[in-house]
Amino acid sequence: MAKYAMAVDLGRCQGCRACMEACKIENNTPQGVFWMYVFRTETGEYPHTKLDFMPRPCQQCNNPPCVKVCPVGARFQREDGIVLTDYDRCIGCRYCEVACPYGVNYYNWRTPEEAFADYGTDYGDPQVAAVTGGLIPPYKNPDLARLQGKEQRLTAGSAHNVGVMEKCTFCVQRVDKGLEPACVDVCPVHALHFGDIEDENSPISQYINQRTGFKLLEELGTEPSVFYLNGTPPGPDTREIERPLTEVGS
Amino acid sequence: MTAGTIPTTEPKGGHQSTGELPQKIGQLSPSWIVFFVAMLAVTAVGFYAYLLQVNNGLIVTGLRGLGTMAGATWGLYVAYYVYFIGVSFAGITVAALIRIFRIEKLEPVARIGELLTVVSLILGALAIMADLEHPWRAIVNLFKYGRPQSPFFGTFTMVIAGYLFASLVYLYVTSRRDAALLAERDSRFKRLYRFLAAGYTDTRAQRRLDRRVTFWLAITILPLLVIAHSTVGFVFGLQAGRPGWFGALQAPGFVVLAGVSGIGNLIMLAAIVRSATRTKGRITIDAFSWLGKLLLGLLITYLYFTAVEILTITYQPGASELTLSEALLSGTYAWIFWGAIASLVIAAVLLIWQALTRRWSIGLVVATGVLVNIGAVAKRYLIVVPSQTHGQLLPYSTGTYTPNWVEWAIVFGLFALGALMIGVFMKIFPIVPLEETDTP
Repeated sequence: MAKYAMAVDLGRCQGCRACMEACKIENNTPQGVFWMYVFRTETGEYPHTKLDFMPRPCQQCNNPPCVKVCPVGARFQREDGIVLTDYDRCIGCRYCEVACPYGVNYYNWRTPEEAFADYGTDYGDPQVAAVTGGLIPPYKNPDLARLQGKEQRLTAGSAHNVGVMEKCTFCVQRVDKGLEPACVDVCPVHALHFGDIEDENSPISQYINQRTGFKLLEELGTEPSVFYLNGTPPGPDTREIERPLTEVGS
Repeated sequence: MTAGTIPTTEPKGGHQSTGELPQKIGQLSPSWIVFFVAMLAVTAVGFYAYLLQVNNGLIVTGLRGLGTMAGATWGLYVAYYVYFIGVSFAGITVAALIRIFRIEKLEPVARIGELLTVVSLILGALAIMADLEHPWRAIVNLFKYGRPQSPFFGTFTMVIAGYLFASLVYLYVTSRRDAALLAERDSRFKRLYRFLAAGYTDTRAQRRLDRRVTFWLAITILPLLVIAHSTVGFVFGLQAGRPGWFGALQAPGFVVLAGVSGIGNLIMLAAIVRSATRTKGRITIDAFSWLGKLLLGLLITYLYFTAVEILTITYQPGASELTLSEALLSGTYAWIFWGAIASLVIAAVLLIWQALTRRWSIGLVVATGVLVNIGAVAKRYLIVVPSQTHGQLLPYSTGTYTPNWVEWAIVFGLFALGALMIGVFMKIFPIVPLEETDTP
């Protein structure tokens, strides 16, 4: 059985956020929802500041606090290590969100109609229609509505129904087809790597073994499956350089 | 349900009937009707807000996601759920004190306490349902897929199902005698009383049996009470992913603050019942001084816990704990924090002063009841919210959360619903147990 993991080469990441865009297109996530998020952070005092970028997918923990606290088993871990949400079973208590130290969970606060309406593009506009060729609105990845894996559960993203929790799935619909997650596929500088970590000869195992790195908040005992290489973890002084996305969704 | 919906029986003019029911049961005074209509209106507004939330999603509340959305995903609903569950502490504790330690002076307020337990558990369950977008799915899925490993599972099963059921049984068992006594009088509720009495006959042997049953029931419910309130503490105390939550003190702290808010509520309610049902001769200063002493013990324990807590988060805190403690002690939440501490300390001083001078005043004891409940609500809010907005472990921006009118409307609606339940109960059944001499 494969055990999937991701390696993030911080020495390569340039903060272009193409991975965030690819994720949104692949998983059709609503506005304000970032299953993959890239921190753009600043450390130190001006003029001696250091700018850093840190992609933050779900850490796919092997001792996941979100799975532990779920009262109905909607959040679960597959044999291949991927932590998924069963959207048919989730009751929306948001316990997984407060239990997760990484802040990767996104609750569907709005109905899909409203959540996607805000993009503000008038698809009926002839000029827009000329570009989209009638494909939008909305582009829907057909794989997301299919049941995934041998469990045959609705875990790939679905319709982003109101009142259920969702998060990065390592693009389970792609992984099951033998593809890499969309973020890994699209990264222009090969900062993201994906593969089977149980196989010592796999490219990702060799990539990790040849470099030094860390796992995020490993001291909490979550045993993440995401390896950060060629960089340093964010310190207590590290802060985001952008304003928070509070106004989104209000 | 209003009093008018209960079928009236034919007046028979029986030899033993007095016709008159005690404690103004069945008498709808103008002030009671005003109270009823006002509470109904507030409940209706809360229900309207809930419908708005069901139709549009939780977006209509002030809640938002953690992390990149920089909000709080648990807010007023969870804070008040914890508070309501806490208030339920009162009933069974008082019952246990009466049955196990034979403190007869508390007997007149026992049923008020038991009713308070049942009502506040229902309100707690409704508060957590208000927090869910899919309450029906939650109920079905908890039966189908419930996982005992989740601290929330204990909330739904042990607290809301087990504890509520046990408390209802207790309330019923201790009420049967009164129902039997009242069934012998001619009144519009005669048929209801006869149904509730279920063949009860008020004999010496039966009373002895009652005492034995309630004693063992109290002993059985007591550990359930500690477990139930601890479970609510575990919802937070087992989570290492948020600053300020992880800790062994959470569960016992929850139990003790539950006692503080529960006894405080019982004191307020007893004072209201006393004047509303003309039972000033029954609920005397003795009951209030006993409740005051009990409250003082719990309050001092809780203040000690709080002191330990403050020392722990300020002496040598980690980076995220430092951010949180600054927000609590001198930042965004300082006014709530110090307001809570001030009301709890003032309440403690008032109680200590009365205990030392041995001069208890009902007004002052009720004032402490109000003060400790303000403090308890504030402390519940401070446990739930600041750990989500401040001191995040990854470099997310500091979050904000302001409850909006929808959340307040639902919370006030819950309070009004609770008041309605107690108010209607008072007009149907004696809320102060009948005396032994009431035997016909």
